[in-house]
Amino acid sequence: MNRFFEIFFVIWSWLSALCLVGAVAAILGFLCVKGFPALNVELIFGNTEPLSALLLQKQVFDGLFPAIVGTLCLVVLSVLLAVPLGVAAGIYMAEYAVGYVKTCCDFLFDILAGIPSIVIGLFGFTLAVFLHKNFSDQVYPCFLISSISLAFLVLPYIVRSTQISLEEIDPAIRNTALALGASRLQNIIHVLLPRALGGICSGVILAIGRCAEDTAVIMLTGAVAIAGIPRSILGQYEALPFYIFYISSQYADQAELMRGYGASLILIMLCTLLFLVAFLVRKRIAYQAFYKA
Amino acid sequence: MTRFQEAICEKLLLSAAWTSGSIVVFIFAFMLFLGLPLLSGGHFFSLLTAHWAPQQGSYGILPMMAGSLFLALLGLLFSFPLSLGCACFISVLGPAKLRFLLRKVVELMTGIPTVIYGFVGLFLLVPLVRDIFGRGGLSLLSASLMLALLIAPTMILFFCDSFDRVPRSYLDAVDAMGGSKVQKLLYVMLPNSVHGIAAGITIALGRAVGDTLLALMLAGNAIHIPHSCLDSARTLTSHIGLVFSADFESLEFKAIFACGITLYLFTAVLVLVVRGINHRLRRPL
Amino acid sequence: MREKNAVACLTLLLALFMSTAVFANALESFKNESGTLRIAGGTAHIPVVKEAAARIMRFNPDIQISIAGGGSGLGIKQVGDGLIDIGNSGRKAKEDEISRYGLVMFKWAIDGVASVVHPDNPVRSLSKDQMKDIYSGKITNWQELGGTKGVINLYTRDDSSGTREVFWKKGLDKGDISSSANFVASNGAMKAAISQDPNGIGYVSVGHIDETIFPVTFDGVHPDLETVKTGKYTIARGLYSNTKGNPAGLAKKFIDYLLSDEGQQIVADKGFIPVQ
Repeated sequence: MNRFFEIFFVIWSWLSALCLVGAVAAILGFLCVKGFPALNVELIFGNTEPLSALLLQKQVFDGLFPAIVGTLCLVVLSVLLAVPLGVAAGIYMAEYAVGYVKTCCDFLFDILAGIPSIVIGLFGFTLAVFLHKNFSDQVYPCFLISSISLAFLVLPYIVRSTQISLEEIDPAIRNTALALGASRLQNIIHVLLPRALGGICSGVILAIGRCAEDTAVIMLTGAVAIAGIPRSILGQYEALPFYIFYISSQYADQAELMRGYGASLILIMLCTLLFLVAFLVRKRIAYQAFYKA
Repeated sequence: MTRFQEAICEKLLLSAAWTSGSIVVFIFAFMLFLGLPLLSGGHFFSLLTAHWAPQQGSYGILPMMAGSLFLALLGLLFSFPLSLGCACFISVLGPAKLRFLLRKVVELMTGIPTVIYGFVGLFLLVPLVRDIFGRGGLSLLSASLMLALLIAPTMILFFCDSFDRVPRSYLDAVDAMGGSKVQKLLYVMLPNSVHGIAAGITIALGRAVGDTLLALMLAGNAIHIPHSCLDSARTLTSHIGLVFSADFESLEFKAIFACGITLYLFTAVLVLVVRGINHRLRRPL
Repeated sequence: MREKNAVACLTLLLALFMSTAVFANALESFKNESGTLRIAGGTAHIPVVKEAAARIMRFNPDIQISIAGGGSGLGIKQVGDGLIDIGNSGRKAKEDEISRYGLVMFKWAIDGVASVVHPDNPVRSLSKDQMKDIYSGKITNWQELGGTKGVINLYTRDDSSGTREVFWKKGLDKGDISSSANFVASNGAMKAAISQDPNGIGYVSVGHIDETIFPVTFDGVHPDLETVKTGKYTIARGLYSNTKGNPAGLAKKFIDYLLSDEGQQIVADKGFIPVQ
């Protein structure tokens, strides 16, 4: 009986592995087969000449260019907002926090990491409406609100990766400079942070990937189907994941659907690239920060 | 650097930590504040148990809660055996090269955007499900199959991690007694990583409940309590995505906050559960 | 004879000249403008609004027009709350909405709402009673309607939709819509969903109909531009753009453009009935 169970278990394990690889291969294969014919200059720039589009002289209407630019701007602003705060919080958690402050913050970050992105999106949306009604007519669900919401979303990744990579440093190294008379802050700046940089970077890259792929937040906070290149942080914008979502449900014709496949392929290449870089930078910390609660 | 500067820096770092932490509280307080008209007078609980029928003035979110729960559990049901099998393959059972390869595939999967799963699900899986079962293309089944793939990497990496934490001496003991790989796995590693596996499942459940895109794109969004996997259903998350544009003064809009608060509390409880499990894990066996 | 020809030629030339003048004028008003215009709401409007916006932005790249869907309800409420500049709706704004927000409505096209099925579906004609039974969930299989065996997949829109409101009032006499119906978010999404589902039935703006979906003959009348125009097909409505108070600046110019000859030509090109 036990023998039978053991064999069954091995077979099952092989089957699951095959099944998973098969599913991933099917997804990627499907996208590649459908998407590669769509990949060309026209996909990105439509009928506009690429050069004048890049120089922002002309607007692109039938291409992905505004969506790609929108996503890039969104990633940059969100990460810029989240990194200083997140890294500082991470340093505090690893090097200073003790007792109830540590327990409390630890718990709060765990919750923040667990909040579904749509709830953060809802928060951003109502915040915009609230500000619009009570403070300024100029505030709508917009680029800035999206960036802030996304920064909230990725903050725990950055805090965690900073914290973990600092805490992982060998106590021998940690104590050497201190024993030689360095202050706590000097030790952090000159010894610990440079060592933890790899881990922090991989956390940041994960955060970038998360910003680039998230759809639920931006759907509620200002991404629209057609907006052109974002010109002001108080304007609405296009984004690649939202474009894919939009096309998938309401493509008008086959040509538009093909653009959807093309956009999917571009997004998946972008995100996979980011994640591979993150794992190369510092494999272990990367996924601990990513899936640790 | 003077002691004064040190103190300033520490205060700055402390305030960064508190600012980040207070965001969590702020989000909750804000939703509570805006959803207040619903919460006062015990209205909140009637919302949780009533049906959604705006025409009759009823804004209950029961069907969405049922949808969220069914979808997440179904996704977990598909994903757990698969993930456990894959984790065992990666940790012990597979040949060295394939183990490494599978691990890379799993790590790659964490990088695939959710919207891609939804997109491929819509154009590859939905027609397939429709052909096989004759109905229910946009259904719990399609959504949960894709959801299973989405949450699998989280579980697999977590399981692998807890297998790795099994003390080396235990494994050596099995080897010394001439036990096979499978025996080592079944009788030593699995029993010793029950807590880790439970934590992994809880985290995956949180992800499954919190996912918006797959439910929105693949589950069909019908407002009723689903009776079979082939039924179309709406989750709390996709409900927020569909109705957020309603009139800000209306009860319809306020009911979204009931969804938001429910989701928030549910994921917070899951976090507590995981922390409880981890806490127990740290104690010596 | 020759004189007549010459006169005809002259008139033709004159007409051409005038029409180009009008065409040029229509966009000319956007010269020296800049800024952003936010449009959201009705999803039936999107093809027309998108084309108009593209022409305007091509003419003057300093103008930024953003277009979102969301449904008529969203258009009316968001424009009322000042979150957008123009809120589109596929139904008339209700009295209380008009008085509460001070809305001004502009009707720039007429449109029908047709019930649609997959082109492979042999069921090509339905009576009103059959339609009501399908939507209330009394009829659940295509076989009962003389089609091939298959469970009917209902598709509907959410409460914010003007298309739903019109179809529900005029097509279903405010009858029940089964709770097992799938929800889609826009006219475009309805079209995409039905074109993929051989057993699906839904309703969509007549302007969105193409060869990927088939409009069902309803009570003996085939819904198309002709029957909607003549009023034979009764499930019809206007497409409106609403502003809070009288429109000013870009919003006014945009609506004027939609109502201009060129704008109305876009309306006709996209499969709707111009109002002028």
